[in-house]
Amino acid sequence: MKPFIRMAVATLALAALPALAEVVVVVNPANSEAVSKDQIANVYLGKSTALTPVDQADGSAIRGEFYKKVADKDASQAKALWSKLVFTGKATPPKELGSSADVKKAVAANPKAIGYIEKSAVDATVKVVLTP
Amino acid sequence: MNKRILAALLALPLATSAHAQDTGAGPTVKVSGFGTGALTMSNTDDAEFARANQTRGVKKDARTGVDSNLGLQADMVINSWLSLTGQGLVRKDAQDDYGAEATLAFAKARINDELSIRAGRMGVPVFMISEYRNVGYANTFVRPPQEMYSQVPFNNIDGIDAVWQNAFGDVSLMSQLAVGRSKADIAGNLEAEMKSLVALNLVAEYGPFTARFGRAQGKLTITGSAPVDGFLASLRTAGAGYRMPVLSALAGELAADSKTSSFTSVGLGLDWNNVIGQAEYAKRKSDSYLNDTTSWYVMGGYRIGKFLPYYVHANLSIDSSVTNTVPAACPAGFPAACRPTLAALSGGVVQLRSAGTGQGEQSTDTIGLRWDIYSKAALKFQVDRIKPKNGKGLFVNVTPGFSHAVTVGTVAVDFVF
Repeated sequence: MKPFIRMAVATLALAALPALAEVVVVVNPANSEAVSKDQIANVYLGKSTALTPVDQADGSAIRGEFYKKVADKDASQAKALWSKLVFTGKATPPKELGSSADVKKAVAANPKAIGYIEKSAVDATVKVVLTP
Repeated sequence: MNKRILAALLALPLATSAHAQDTGAGPTVKVSGFGTGALTMSNTDDAEFARANQTRGVKKDARTGVDSNLGLQADMVINSWLSLTGQGLVRKDAQDDYGAEATLAFAKARINDELSIRAGRMGVPVFMISEYRNVGYANTFVRPPQEMYSQVPFNNIDGIDAVWQNAFGDVSLMSQLAVGRSKADIAGNLEAEMKSLVALNLVAEYGPFTARFGRAQGKLTITGSAPVDGFLASLRTAGAGYRMPVLSALAGELAADSKTSSFTSVGLGLDWNNVIGQAEYAKRKSDSYLNDTTSWYVMGGYRIGKFLPYYVHANLSIDSSVTNTVPAACPAGFPAACRPTLAALSGGVVQLRSAGTGQGEQSTDTIGLRWDIYSKAALKFQVDRIKPKNGKGLFVNVTPGFSHAVTVGTVAVDFVF
């Protein structure tokens, strides 16, 4: 009985997990500089303009996962931080794009761009710099 | 500035730019905004609780005027290095009606990754959160601690500033230097003007820690106060009439006419896992009847999911005022009216210490709860226990003799869009 229960619990646990797509951070293939997780977090929290970040849609699962994993902030916290910068005119938030395909296109088009997409969407047009 | 016209102008970007978002290569306009809808009330009818520089506040009846506001901002990106920003804010300030102010109107030139130069009207970086003090959503508490944020009435600077953003290893440093002038309407139809205003703002961030140093100074002039002007005229008249040069000299010392004034502050911030903290300590100095003051506050909070309970303690105390040099007695042989005149003048000097906005001593203990109900809105509950010291504190429209502690309750919804 016991192994059966254990298996049932394990199955349940798996079923309860949402289909979490693994998020990866990508840059333009022409960008040969290494970027650390902290640097990426700084770029996405408006503390650094070394790279031009692009965001996924507000409220999307991948955006929530990216901010949680890379910057350790949830959506509300990131929003509050950005509202400090936006409404003082110090910075404008990253451009929001609707899909990983759009993010890839934007990153491929700009040597200074940085974005995050599902791992399954990676192709030769972008270069993975971090798998958080 | 005609407030109606300004309000109409503010509404314009909303009407015109909604479709201007995706024009590709051309200039793009982004409209965003912030606001707070709040109800504030207190447990007394003896005095009105107001934000700094408001003419009316709240008593036992709950009102929206103290903490509600609405801001609209338009950002226009011209090209890779030039952008324009305009922001208007509607709130109750200086006059007892909702008025619109142009809070930001500047052009920003990005010189390189680290340096940008702005010209026009910017926020004046006097306090740690001065530039976003009206954005409730960006802050933990409902309103910035009034003990400190009442000490400088200026919100904006008209001039030019430079912002450097550097990284030294793991430390990121933001350095800002602003020069220009600033004007502010003050409650009671007064006007304050700061000329030769220079403001330095240094913010260092290291992981979850933030440290800040700020210093602003300039030449302060306050005009339009009939009681203050009348009193200074009486001092001068008495000085001339009784041949007491000390009185005229005192009038000169008290007058806020192009007097050097400064505000120096340090701040600390913490955002470590679920623990948040914020503290500031500041000294105000002015060569005028405005008191030299010390103000500080400490805030701590602990995030539990979408809930953030917090506690704040704030204090404002007067370090020194202009020395009251009115003689207590008249030389022998002076007219009988001399002595009561001097007594009245002496009383006037004492009164000046609590005349005007931000003049007073008090402390506040605050508990509150921020609840992030959705990614662009937060609901806040806050209770303040305010203890005035040596008089009415920062309360307005008080009944004679008022000096007791007051409890203020607030419910607020902060949002951004």
